[in-house]
Amino acid sequence: MRKVMVFSSILVLLVIMMMASTTIQIWSWRSQDAPVWKEVQKEMNAQGIDVKIDFRSFLPTEYDSKVQIALQGGKGPDIIYSRRLPGQRTQALIDAGLLVPIDGKVSFSHFNTSVLNFIKASNGKHYGVPFAVQVVGIFYNKDIYKKYGLKVPKTWSELVKNAETLKKNGVTPFFVPGKAGWALAMQHAMTGVSVLGPCWIKRLLDGETNFLDPAWVHVNKLLNDLKVYYQKGYMANTTDDLNAAFAFGQAAMVFYGIWGYGMWKELNPNVNVGYFMVPPDCEYSQPWAYVFMDGSLALTSNSKHPDMALKVLQFAATPRFGTIFAKETLNIPAVKGATMPNVPILQKVLKVAEEHASPYVYWVGSVLTAHSPSLYTDVLSPGMQAMYAGKITPEEFAKMAQDKISQWYKPLMKK
Amino acid sequence: MARRFALKRRATLRKGIAVSIKKRYVLLFVLPALILYVTFVIYPFIFSFILSFYKWPGAGAKTFVGLQNFKDILFGSFGNEFRNAFMHNIYYFILVTIFELGLGFLLAIFLVSIVKGKRFFQMMVYLPNIISMILVGFIWSMMLNPQIGLVNQFLRHVGLGALAQPWLGDPNLALNTIIAVNVWRNLGFYVLVFTASLLDIPRELLEAAYIDGASNFKVITKILFPLTIPTFQTLSILLFIWTFNVFDIVYALEGAQAGPFRSTDVLGTLFYRTAFGGLGSSRADFGLGAAVAVLIFLVVMPLSLVYAYVVDRRSRNA
Repeated sequence: MRKVMVFSSILVLLVIMMMASTTIQIWSWRSQDAPVWKEVQKEMNAQGIDVKIDFRSFLPTEYDSKVQIALQGGKGPDIIYSRRLPGQRTQALIDAGLLVPIDGKVSFSHFNTSVLNFIKASNGKHYGVPFAVQVVGIFYNKDIYKKYGLKVPKTWSELVKNAETLKKNGVTPFFVPGKAGWALAMQHAMTGVSVLGPCWIKRLLDGETNFLDPAWVHVNKLLNDLKVYYQKGYMANTTDDLNAAFAFGQAAMVFYGIWGYGMWKELNPNVNVGYFMVPPDCEYSQPWAYVFMDGSLALTSNSKHPDMALKVLQFAATPRFGTIFAKETLNIPAVKGATMPNVPILQKVLKVAEEHASPYVYWVGSVLTAHSPSLYTDVLSPGMQAMYAGKITPEEFAKMAQDKISQWYKPLMKK
Repeated sequence: MARRFALKRRATLRKGIAVSIKKRYVLLFVLPALILYVTFVIYPFIFSFILSFYKWPGAGAKTFVGLQNFKDILFGSFGNEFRNAFMHNIYYFILVTIFELGLGFLLAIFLVSIVKGKRFFQMMVYLPNIISMILVGFIWSMMLNPQIGLVNQFLRHVGLGALAQPWLGDPNLALNTIIAVNVWRNLGFYVLVFTASLLDIPRELLEAAYIDGASNFKVITKILFPLTIPTFQTLSILLFIWTFNVFDIVYALEGAQAGPFRSTDVLGTLFYRTAFGGLGSSRADFGLGAAVAVLIFLVVMPLSLVYAYVVDRRSRNA
């Protein structure tokens, strides 16, 4: 009898505790953000906000369909990690009224206008709180560079020279995950912003030039010629292989994003990583960095506790959230004024993002990826693989891009 | 006489009632299965068919586009991808049929002939079949890793380093590699079916052949093979249907992008990409995906009917 009473009391207490706090469910494609939300919950609780955050992550490749199906069926979480705009996935959710605009409910005073453009829909309203800014470029192993007396290259030819020195010394210069088409698309895009420059990309977007331009073919050639410095069998490697190989010094350089840094450090705390922008092909040009807003935290119309969900979003729009985010993920938060952890590479990348971000791009965050055939999925990913495998020439790759994009992108139709 | 006639009539009437009650019961028993079938097969099929005439990103209003989705897939922006994927399905079917049925038949002969270790070999052959396809994909992704994978390491170890390849990264090898993994995974099932079929053959036939001096080769080609042709027919039709619906193994080994550059693309992965979109923010269109699904159905349906006809005819003959 006594046992039953004790058990019942515990049960009642648990029920009361569960009823007291409001649970906010958040869905994401970023599993690495779980500790961020634990910290946020702790911080909000300390501020007297009785919230419990239930964070769930899904495979990035399956995430969008899961969100779409759940929200369409009247279910799903209170907050979703939403893809940046312009983009048909997020736009479809907005058009269906499944995402709620948060203008006037959340302060955007700590965000740059360029970042806010990625959450601004065609109706002029803002959907979501941007959470991270990503910077891609070349990450190199500082110890290997030091060992062979190499300097950070200022031009493409210096980069090739470094690769040649490494190869001669039996070191794999680049580890490229050829099986991951998206990573090859990213490699092309980050090379493009530096070698072509933002002005050329603007002219492309305006329809003043097209993919058949010798300048674009030249980028294809540069990359195609670089493949002799990739690891053997690179076309069968994934980004998991890249992470392991780079973390343990099996390759000197990788074309990747700052989000990989946390993983490399986790695998090998002693790895000494540096960063530089893809160098331009001419010594008189300046390099540009590919910077993009990763995504935002959007309020869904199916939220059972919209007021509490808004409180979470309000917190996510503060520098304090940015500090927690940077500390836990070693990524760059989208919110300004956050205290960055004392990690030199993060400081460097942040500086690059602020001073050298290319204003025009043709990969993620570009209008050229918002429709099908997309420059990302249907051109750069399979095209780079085909070119690397020797199935198509750099010129044929350019023709493939022009043929596919001109099917729907009006400025390129006339060319 | 009249009484006998009346009795007979009453008996017939009673029998009729019994039959009608039985029919009602039959319907009652069938109903749960029927509800499930309609919910999970008929309804989705009709929904997909209707959806194939619409443009729908999975949320919001659907836009009627008529035959535009079919035009896009057959002749438009996805024309090349559809033809490429379709040809890969055909290639997949041919190779899988040759290897799974051919090896399955030969291994089944081996298994019915041996005396010692029969159970052990049967278990070994069937073992991969119980592993889920996603797990098979994971295992083989590791095994085929170009640097640290067991396959290349083994080849290098035995002095055949020149044969070490990026198995899943070379466009000339990737689809064949996937087919090989598929054969490894499914062979046990075919061995099992052929074993059952071989055990059905009367022993007297084989004994008589051996007494008459027939060689093993003659016994296989003149007795075992002809008598298992019906099994070959059934399995090849089933394989056709299965290979045109193949998705999981390609997805597990190469992802929805079916790389390198679509060299392993099949209709299943094309459907996935068109319905759920590609990478990042790219377009998802359930209508386009539904149109691919309808086209797969149009390819598979006639063969399914042939299969049903063959099975029906055989059961009648039996």
